[in-house]
Amino acid sequence: MGVEKLKYKDKLKNKNEDIYILALESSCDETAAAVNKNGLEVMANVVSSQVEIHKKFGGVVPEIASRKHLELLLPVIDQALAEAGIKFEDLDAVAATSGPGLVGGLLVTLTAAKTISLALNIPLIGVNHIAGHIYANFIANPEIKKPLLCLTISGGHTDLLYFEDLRGYQILGRTIDDAAGEAFDKISRFLGLGYPGGPAIEKAAQTGNEEAIDFPRADLGKSYNFSFSGLKTSVMNYVNNEKQRGNEINTSDLAASFQKAVVDSLASNLLQAVEEYKVESVVLSGGVAANQRLRSYLEEKLEKYNLKLYYPPLELCTDNAAMIGAVAYYQYLERDFAPLSISADPSLKL
Amino acid sequence: MLTLAIDSSTDNLGLALMESGQLRGEFNLSLKRQHSEKLLPLMEEIFELLEIEAKDLDGAAVATGPGSFTGLRIGITTAKMLGRIFAIPVKGIPTLEIMAAGAAGAYRLALLDARRERVYYAFYQQPEADSDDFIKEIYPPAAVRIAELPEVLNDYSQKQITIIGEKKLEVGKVLKASNFSIKYGEPESDLPRAAVLARLGENYLKRGQKDDIYQLKPAYLKKPQAEINWQQKYGSN
Repeated sequence: MGVEKLKYKDKLKNKNEDIYILALESSCDETAAAVNKNGLEVMANVVSSQVEIHKKFGGVVPEIASRKHLELLLPVIDQALAEAGIKFEDLDAVAATSGPGLVGGLLVTLTAAKTISLALNIPLIGVNHIAGHIYANFIANPEIKKPLLCLTISGGHTDLLYFEDLRGYQILGRTIDDAAGEAFDKISRFLGLGYPGGPAIEKAAQTGNEEAIDFPRADLGKSYNFSFSGLKTSVMNYVNNEKQRGNEINTSDLAASFQKAVVDSLASNLLQAVEEYKVESVVLSGGVAANQRLRSYLEEKLEKYNLKLYYPPLELCTDNAAMIGAVAYYQYLERDFAPLSISADPSLKL
Repeated sequence: MLTLAIDSSTDNLGLALMESGQLRGEFNLSLKRQHSEKLLPLMEEIFELLEIEAKDLDGAAVATGPGSFTGLRIGITTAKMLGRIFAIPVKGIPTLEIMAAGAAGAYRLALLDARRERVYYAFYQQPEADSDDFIKEIYPPAAVRIAELPEVLNDYSQKQITIIGEKKLEVGKVLKASNFSIKYGEPESDLPRAAVLARLGENYLKRGQKDDIYQLKPAYLKKPQAEINWQQKYGSN
């Protein structure tokens, strides 16, 4: 990182100056470009979705997505610059998602960003897509007070993060086995409820009694880590035992009890951290943040601390580049620049 | 006129700078799947070593394949962005044409491995002495089963053909068995060389032959596997 800092040292701006960043994103099936001013001010946010193209295949086809990203690259960049009313020469930095995601797709905008960096002699910033989804909250709710806790929960992540300010975060805990969304998916498939598992379980749970079955909550002592594989095994054992005994299984009660066990595990670490870290806000991000039971339970528990729970609005839950630009701004202030040799990392961690 | 050549279509990562007919510098490195990490650092290095800035460029030439899908996109993305940022013309040139233009012989068969007993091929001839072209295309790039090549090249069975590129020995054996007169190109012509791409690119751009950067895309010559599977199952569309 040191070399990059020196390379641009004469032109780097500070926090009190206006900083314009072009951000690019192509980690899955959206080709996106955005221009952000000073991080959270979104001047343009262009997203070109390929959802229709992939529909007939029943999922995103990586090679088709990559080909489409290349075709859409210049049009989305042009539109973003036009909407923001700025030129390449006005940019202070260029950012792109470096992972996680589909490597072929990631490489299109990452290569474009590298070329812009070299051509204009401005810093290149590689952004973690998951961090982007967290910062989508800060774009939507700029009033969020710091310090804050963020629970990032999706099919690939279960991370509890502490933010002193928006310049960086500390990972307090993460899952030691399955991610929360992964547990939902696995149990949903096991129960024949379909994919994605989160909404399927939530729907089945609506009419169920969440106290019907007492599933275990992982106790990892004082750590803020999570574990869901024991719960998963326990659900499977329960179903197999009941079947052996010839008992009929009440799927609604089972789904509700399982969901509550996941919610309790997530909530107990979060609330323990709320006690310890004296935060001003709590933020959810990731697909599982859409779970209504989790939201209502946390809202109820956070009331006594007088804390508001934030979660991203639906329109910022889909992939976009504005959220990448928001993260990039804080990396810029930290002079956290990427070398031109940076590669895409399909399984990049926070 | 300063032309930058970019080729990441095969294992060879190529970069060259040609200034009005004079080669300023060239990298050809057999790197295999490291093109994403190496292309821009090497470009920065060649600029620094030759004391050139990106904004000095007057044009860019890029190899369009066939080749590694990901590799092709890396080079073409880079060329598109340079074209867009500096408003300079960009010309895409088939990888097989670069290979053929870098070889000798009246008739040249350029090859790249397409796997499973198949090759990508293109067939060229030496242009007439008074022509401005460096190479004259007879058959454009396409994929073919190696066993079918004698039939494809049947009209030229009496000519001496120089074979270059991947699988040249295997293809040569098949053609010889059908009584073709063949010759193998030198090893350095088995790879698309960046200097040749730069020479071709400069020649095209000088004559005003450039591509629309918004339309420029790789010559994949192969549909994505998912598309092939889908069509086999449901027919076309």
